[in-house]
Amino acid sequence: MSGENRRERVVSVTEAVTLVKDGAVVGLSGFSYQNPPMALVREIIRRRVRDLTIVSGPTSGIETDLLIGAGCVRRVITAGVAFEKVIPIAPAFRRAAESGAIDIWECDECIWHLALKAAAWGMPHILWRGGVATSLPELNRDLQEVEVDGMRYLKVPPVQPDIVFLHVAEADVFGNLRMAREAYLGRSFAERALALACRGPVVASCERIVPNDEVVEHPERTFVRGALVVELPNGSHPGGTSGRSIPDLDHYREYTAAGEAARKGEPGRYQAYLERYVYGPDNHDDYLKVVGGARLESLRMSVA
Amino acid sequence: MSAPGDVERLLACVIARELRDTDIVAFGLHAELLLAAALLAQRLHAPNLVLRHGLREERGAEIGPAAWTDNARSRTHELIEYVEEHDVILDVASLSPMRFCDVFLVGGMQIDREGSVNLIGIKGKDGRLAVRGPGSIGTTSIATLARRPILFSPDHTPRRFVERVDYVSVPGWKRRAAAGLEGGPILCVTPLAVMDFADGAMRLRSVHGHTTLDEVRRRTGFPLAPDGPVPVTPPPTKSESDAIEIVDPFGRLAGLGFRADGGDQ
Repeated sequence: MSGENRRERVVSVTEAVTLVKDGAVVGLSGFSYQNPPMALVREIIRRRVRDLTIVSGPTSGIETDLLIGAGCVRRVITAGVAFEKVIPIAPAFRRAAESGAIDIWECDECIWHLALKAAAWGMPHILWRGGVATSLPELNRDLQEVEVDGMRYLKVPPVQPDIVFLHVAEADVFGNLRMAREAYLGRSFAERALALACRGPVVASCERIVPNDEVVEHPERTFVRGALVVELPNGSHPGGTSGRSIPDLDHYREYTAAGEAARKGEPGRYQAYLERYVYGPDNHDDYLKVVGGARLESLRMSVA
Repeated sequence: MSAPGDVERLLACVIARELRDTDIVAFGLHAELLLAAALLAQRLHAPNLVLRHGLREERGAEIGPAAWTDNARSRTHELIEYVEEHDVILDVASLSPMRFCDVFLVGGMQIDREGSVNLIGIKGKDGRLAVRGPGSIGTTSIATLARRPILFSPDHTPRRFVERVDYVSVPGWKRRAAAGLEGGPILCVTPLAVMDFADGAMRLRSVHGHTTLDEVRRRTGFPLAPDGPVPVTPPPTKSESDAIEIVDPFGRLAGLGFRADGGDQ
């Protein structure tokens, strides 16, 4: 199956992240605690990229909040940024939203998904009943109501990322991305929607590069193809990788405490977090040493 | 004052009594109250009620009601119809038999007289957003398209219950009617009272036994009909209490943090 002349799509972290330019529209995986491409996000922050529009979610997590807190973001397109039971509104997002430092495209999860579908399908808009009679049109100039045959709809415009970063369990060298197991329920639609809507490269960090033969044997597990691939084990930490590791909730609490301190006028603790976990380590391997092998081991799921 | 969990167990019963055998009940994160009510209804009078659930257990991570019990066989696989893909919502936005859901539980920073709910934020005196809310998450579309959303609040204060919400995340009765949407919120439950709706406005249905009608009126930012006396919320029956023991074996309802005193004003 794998012809000898077939081009491999494995890249280095540096190659992957230099594709992001100031002002780009960047799609990120990460539904709540699951599958955020954190190793790539930390490298984007180290490169001090600015004015990004982040498309993440449908409900985002720490990948988006960290980029906001590090000053890389101008606009977000998400239905919310939250850490579930750790804190219902992520701290950097809340602070930036209240100060007006970022613009927010106010949407819910369905509308977020439809906007990506509109881009993937090449449609100028999609009409949707959910969200009519709400404040969404008042808050988004490009999300207005229209009436068709006496029924009101929201006219959802396309959202098209310039580049997308994902974290997945497995990939092969040709850029086929797979989830941990075929039985996995939910939480993969967002990665697929982002990848299909993207006008530029899709880059995936993965826990493990697997032989193409394994991918060919189970085509039903491939959910995105044609991605650029970087092997970065534990690349979602502190988020979980579906089917491979659970989220590091202690780390989320540590981050949240630092973020809440900054929100309440004490920026030092957040800066200290960034120094310890982002700017201090030169690369992902160094970051994993700071986190510690025992901690990472305690988060690993038994592979089915 | 009531014992820990009494209020949550009472509200689970109140909601369960509203659920029908033909209902599809959908859940987001932290919807333990509705999950408990739906499981109660299945046991008591609605065996065909369908639970639609978007989450799954990831080795005990705190990701929602699917992690409620350690006993996977009793709950997470046999009774719950998972949302395997978010597309399910997008694929059925109609009221067909394949519809996404009939009932969805909605909370928010503000709830107003017509049952509109605000998750976006609170405006300052200058009219700009001053306090950022969680955002619309999955609630806006699902609750707009569900015909019988149920509202809840973990406290009962004039800050929460306002004449008009600052932003609308989920429309109440008049807004829905103007947009041609069927139905509207059927119930609003709090640690002090149960409200329903008549002619598009919230009214008191019952007041819980541990508080008073005056207290409820004092803590609501708009007048509530009727003017006269209001019945006490019927406490859990014997069969309801027995069923709660089964659906909430670890007493998780007691951990929801509802404020039996109505909360700080």
